[in-house]
Amino acid sequence: MAGRLKVLVGGVQLRDGVGTVVDVVGRIATRAGLHVLANERNYASTIYGAHQFDPLLICEEPPLSHGDDQVDILVALEFDSNPDAPQQPNRDTILRHGAHLRDGGVLLYDASTGTVPTEALEARGVRVFPLPARHIALRELKREVVKNMVVVGALFRLLEFDMDQHYLRALLEERFARKAQDLVDLNLRAALRGRAVVEEVLRERGWPSVGYRLEPRSTSEPLLFLSGTDALGVGAIQAGCRFYAGYPITPASPLLEFMDRYLPAYGGRSLQGQNERESIRAALGASLAGARAMVGSSGPGISLKVEEFGLAGAAEIPIVVVDSQRAGPSTGMPTKTEQADLRMAISAGHGEIPRIVLAPSTLEECYTLIMDAFHLADKYQCPVFFLTDLTLAEVRKSVPQSLFRETVRIVREGVLTEEDLRRDGFRRFRLTESGISPRIFPGTPGAVFKMSGTEHDESGFVTTDPPRRQAMMEKRMRKMETYLREDARGPQVYGDPAGRPVLVGWGSTKPVLLEARERLRAEGLEVAVVQITHLWPFPTHLVKPVLQAASVLIVCEQNYSGQLADLIQERCLLPTRRILKYNGRVFYVSDIVRGVHQIVRQGIGEVRVAEALPVPVEAHEGE
Amino acid sequence: MSVQPAARASASKVWEENAVPRHRIQWCPGCGDYGVLNALKLAFTRLELVPHEVLLIGGIGCSGQIRNYLNGNGFHGTHGGPLAYALGVKMANPDLRVVALAGDGDTFAIGVENFVHACRRDPQVTLIVMDNGVYGLTTGQRSPTGGLGQDFPEFSEEEPPPFSPLRLALAAGATFIAQSFSGDPKHAAEVYAQAMEHPGFAFVNDFSPCVTYNKFNTYDWFRERLQPVPADHDPTSLEAAWELLADFRRRGRSPLGVVYRNPRRRKAQRRVPMWPQELEGIDLEPMLRAFR
Repeated sequence: MAGRLKVLVGGVQLRDGVGTVVDVVGRIATRAGLHVLANERNYASTIYGAHQFDPLLICEEPPLSHGDDQVDILVALEFDSNPDAPQQPNRDTILRHGAHLRDGGVLLYDASTGTVPTEALEARGVRVFPLPARHIALRELKREVVKNMVVVGALFRLLEFDMDQHYLRALLEERFARKAQDLVDLNLRAALRGRAVVEEVLRERGWPSVGYRLEPRSTSEPLLFLSGTDALGVGAIQAGCRFYAGYPITPASPLLEFMDRYLPAYGGRSLQGQNERESIRAALGASLAGARAMVGSSGPGISLKVEEFGLAGAAEIPIVVVDSQRAGPSTGMPTKTEQADLRMAISAGHGEIPRIVLAPSTLEECYTLIMDAFHLADKYQCPVFFLTDLTLAEVRKSVPQSLFRETVRIVREGVLTEEDLRRDGFRRFRLTESGISPRIFPGTPGAVFKMSGTEHDESGFVTTDPPRRQAMMEKRMRKMETYLREDARGPQVYGDPAGRPVLVGWGSTKPVLLEARERLRAEGLEVAVVQITHLWPFPTHLVKPVLQAASVLIVCEQNYSGQLADLIQERCLLPTRRILKYNGRVFYVSDIVRGVHQIVRQGIGEVRVAEALPVPVEAHEGE
Repeated sequence: MSVQPAARASASKVWEENAVPRHRIQWCPGCGDYGVLNALKLAFTRLELVPHEVLLIGGIGCSGQIRNYLNGNGFHGTHGGPLAYALGVKMANPDLRVVALAGDGDTFAIGVENFVHACRRDPQVTLIVMDNGVYGLTTGQRSPTGGLGQDFPEFSEEEPPPFSPLRLALAAGATFIAQSFSGDPKHAAEVYAQAMEHPGFAFVNDFSPCVTYNKFNTYDWFRERLQPVPADHDPTSLEAAWELLADFRRRGRSPLGVVYRNPRRRKAQRRVPMWPQELEGIDLEPMLRAFR
């Protein structure tokens, strides 16, 4: 193994256990000290029956990004006929991904209903391993579910990994909690059968090995295998979030499940609202009662919450809003990724309110930046939007445990105590220089608040007097000036932008841009990468000096119009070129590299990344 | 349950601090909501509540203004939302006394989703609906309870017959359902006090006439039509409650008093940690263990 191996597991959703195989392999490789990155979980918004695939990158050192769509080992788990091609079982994964299998790679497929014609692949040096996993499970082991373990065993043999079943046994024993030793043994037997089949093929074909080998590595500290949503959840709880409300929606539901599972242990409460609006309203209620509160949703749910964002802005209630973006418009493609809610986050609602928009760029930042989100919400008493996307929410990755050693100091800005009230009195919306007014939580002896989404005076009573209205509007919006002065963060800059093409990104695309930068450098083209995490209020004073030095600005985004590119043009008055992708798939490094060449060498202004349709199944004549 | 004259005097004093002065109240002369305001002050006094421990959540409309006319913390959100905010407040801090004060449009039209689920969830929140059958603040359009007592030989999709909030609440599983009349603040105060002492979601439908836009459901009309719940009614029986509503309906009358009251067993609830000393230095290990 040349330091980096990509395995793609494909099959029929729910039936073939794609997720189980990836989870077991990912966890075990992580425990063995290897770096695993599963960045592109592809499934459909149906429960059963669609094609599902999950590429898994295993590396000795932390990878920069998921790289290209090319794979080293293709694992096809479909065991019966593709309805489109009854004579050709097990075609779907092979048809869709065969073209991405590298020359000299490996194909492992479930041959329970016969072998598959693979001459074309073999002509490219691909080594083919037919494995009747379902037959073995059903006929020999009498339990169909263990077919996944047959596959894992076969895969481990191909990789010459865990031959003594040390890791697998440990995982199985934990999973069955030592209660069902016979289940552990059955699964281990299944893995051994998978291994035996691969050994037989190797012997028959006279191959000494397939050229890949995973070796456990010792790491200075344990690695964890977790998703971006998990990292976000840990960060939120650490940042003091004690109330979470959500409504089931892909891909934000895992956050709701995380909070349901862990918040009670920390004294907090998690609520599954009866709809999107009940969720955010309850969270606003909890927040005005004093709890640090968060809601999570995706595009369609965010649209439904819009009215409450206005309320949070006008009544000055802190709230963190996580938007796990998915492909729109409307209900769009619920299980596909996109970055098209930026414009919504910075402007959703009628009228104008102060708001802050943050976007993490990696799993690690999901953890660190969410802490800032809670701090900022509390300090500025306004909604803070946290724009992740499906890729970031669902990425699973090995990270060192020390990532979670960050300490937080929780500051509750502007909360008055009983003594403060006795000394200074209290007006909830006092006009201040910074725009931030003192507040109390209900129950504080010595004062009461009057808070309202309707325009109000300093004491919170309804008013429409022009001078009072103007003063209150200016007070609220002054928070944004204070924010730009005290808390705005400039972009992350990699390389020197001066006189060079600069790739600009936001959200989950950063690792891809960084790897594209390496590849372009190897080709002799030096570019810089600029990542913007603090998107609104737009820190023009910090971004423009960086960007205006560039020879050409190339904004790379997963949306149709180039929302960040427009924002940069509007705020910095700098022209931008764009690389855009909105077909539901992640950016690959080659997409960016190709796009940069087209822009830099051919002067193209806007590159729209496209992908060929999957190879159609050949129909017989006369059909 | 009766309110002493001495207590009444101090009632106005305590509950009028930190509030809009009476001469600046923006309700039409004769508005039923004045009766609700007086009854609320009586009820709060009767229960010896301390204003800073009370949170009044107003709805949108004339009725929602009442939060500003009373001492206590006041909050006013979006149309239809009071019960959902109240739910969050109670979940975060069960020690607060939360009273939602909304109109019929706010509760039974745009907010009906929150109303139905509040009946199911049963948070310890008191809801007083000032029911007048119209959207007063937007000049008198008909609300879901509009048309009460009028003859509907035929109906259309645009103008369906009024529906009964009490039956909806009963069907949705509410554990305290009562009706009052703002023309009788003394009785209303007693009902409110009982509602606020109920250990769960308490719903009081208060007929509060709109003298400007509802010329049909007037004070006299209600006085003629409202009858006290019979003394032998067993409010803890669900069957008796359904029968009572059916009986009043047959007779073209509406009940005044507690129709149903049967608390549900609930889990003990603690206040959510809020202060830095409660939030910092937590042990992440239980969460991280799952990812090894």
